[in-house]
Amino acid sequence: MDVTFKIRRQNPEVPGKEKPYWQEFVLADVDPTDRILEMLHRIKWEQDGTLSLRRSCAHGVCGSDAMRINGVNRLACKMLVKDVGERVQVEPILGLPVIKDLIVDMEPFFDHYKQVMPFFVNDDPAPADGRERLQTQADRELFDDSTKCILCACCTTSCPSFWANGHYVGPAAIVGAHRFIFDTRDQAGNERLDILSEPNGVWRCRTIFNCTPACPRDIEVTKAIGEVKLAIRKGSTDGVIQPHQVG
Amino acid sequence: MTTLVLTVRETLRYRGAIGQWSWVLHRLTGVGVVMFLALHVIDTSWAVFYPDLYVKAIAAYQSPIFTIGEFGLVFAVVYHAFNGIRIVIFDYKPELWRHQSQAAVAVLILTLIVLAPVFLGMAGHVVDFYFVEHAIAGDRVMDVVVFSIIEQLPFVAGFIGALVAAIVLAAVFSMVRGDGGASARSKYPQASPVERFWWAFMRLSGILIVPLVFVHLALMHVVQGVFDITAAQQVAGTLQVNGTIGAVPTAVEFVYHRWTYTAWGVYVWRVFDLFLLVLVTLHGFNGLRYVLTDYTSFNPFIRRISVSLCTVIGAVLLVVGGASLLLPIEKDIVNEALAATAEIYELRGEEIPAALEAYLAGDDDGGGSD
Repeated sequence: MDVTFKIRRQNPEVPGKEKPYWQEFVLADVDPTDRILEMLHRIKWEQDGTLSLRRSCAHGVCGSDAMRINGVNRLACKMLVKDVGERVQVEPILGLPVIKDLIVDMEPFFDHYKQVMPFFVNDDPAPADGRERLQTQADRELFDDSTKCILCACCTTSCPSFWANGHYVGPAAIVGAHRFIFDTRDQAGNERLDILSEPNGVWRCRTIFNCTPACPRDIEVTKAIGEVKLAIRKGSTDGVIQPHQVG
Repeated sequence: MTTLVLTVRETLRYRGAIGQWSWVLHRLTGVGVVMFLALHVIDTSWAVFYPDLYVKAIAAYQSPIFTIGEFGLVFAVVYHAFNGIRIVIFDYKPELWRHQSQAAVAVLILTLIVLAPVFLGMAGHVVDFYFVEHAIAGDRVMDVVVFSIIEQLPFVAGFIGALVAAIVLAAVFSMVRGDGGASARSKYPQASPVERFWWAFMRLSGILIVPLVFVHLALMHVVQGVFDITAAQQVAGTLQVNGTIGAVPTAVEFVYHRWTYTAWGVYVWRVFDLFLLVLVTLHGFNGLRYVLTDYTSFNPFIRRISVSLCTVIGAVLLVVGGASLLLPIEKDIVNEALAATAEIYELRGEEIPAALEAYLAGDDDGGGSD
């Protein structure tokens, strides 16, 4: 079948193309089970070599090909043609500066992520056997969901609060913080809660729920943000996530 | 401004689920209610401080444009209340998130179910007023509309005054605090107990407001709408009948009866209205601050003006509204309203009731209205 791609393009280096514009490409012999990423490759390889996009693993693991496909944030490598139909609209994710075509500058996004101390903090000496710091399965379950994040920015750039205010730390950074805040072995949880209770921290979340369906890893993003809010309200993570809710 | 335009455009373009549209409606209804609140608190305080102005303000509210506005207001309050409850539930029970879209649909359905009989009741008051109780000449309807707009113009001046005050405040604050603390940031941004407090306050006050505002809406907009406030009826929530003090029923006498009504030795409606005033003003203007600061983050000075504006207007409403509720009420205000009432009759091309004419003819301090 034929599929029409309408792609949002922009190239600040070429006169006349500095401003964003739409360009259409028609692809023949498309299979319904073809992936959007492959179709973008075909356009680049067969029709217009200047089309720029970012991708790396191409299998939904690295998180580098987030884009807005038919109005919603998706990974191009995880979307099939049959999921979106014969007219496909592709544009860069919103809220980060566009470098070229579908490529955005991810640095502001990573800066927010770095703010929440996304690393394990525990200054106690390692266990006597020199191996892992053990924890119960139930404790591990508390943050299992938030370990799945691949930092693709689909959630953060689907958030109207983030569109309006780029200083808002955003869903992805909060999920990143959640992964360590609710880790019983970590010792910097209170510091992270302090960071996130800043005016541009979790309180900019208006519980809109755009982030949750945008996540290609099915992380319960709004739930994680809600748990961080409650932990800040209580001043502790105790009892915020009930064991029976896990899983 | 560009941020606002971009956000509005992209919100319309992004195919978010129903939660996104609930949020849009929540914001629009919230901002709408807050704007009405500013008018309403100032106007109502006039019943005590400037009775003749209150009579004219109520006449303005009885005009067709404000009638449409009142239906919008009731929709806004009901939707905002139900959706607010939905948000509180998912904020405090985040694990229930899978039900959020059903809840958003439920909010819409519940709003419609509640509004259907309410709108019917309100429409009944409109019909009674225009076609049964009053005979407003057709060619005067536009006059009434123009009059009502002119009557509310002082609010524009008041708003400009508040804006100037906000700019001055923001400038002073900037001089004291520098660039807004952006450079003062140390390794990490500062934790803010202020935002944590407001987050919880919005949710607690929202829940407390729901029963208060529903009782208020039911009595003042449905059982007795703005059209009955000048009718010879028993004032809802009291034992008095409007028009028993003055020559004819007036909006001022209506307020007088409510605010002087006591049960068990307590001014019930003054206490009720005071709770409502404080909670709604704080909730409303903090909500407005959320909306404004979301879209002004690109410029610290404009952001600070937005915050100051919310603070200034909110404080004015609390002071003026609070004063009208807490200060003793003089019985004289009822008669002070009568001259203005006669003016309204003339404007509408209606015959002035004989009782009112007789009162004004024999009255020495109610004249000067011609």
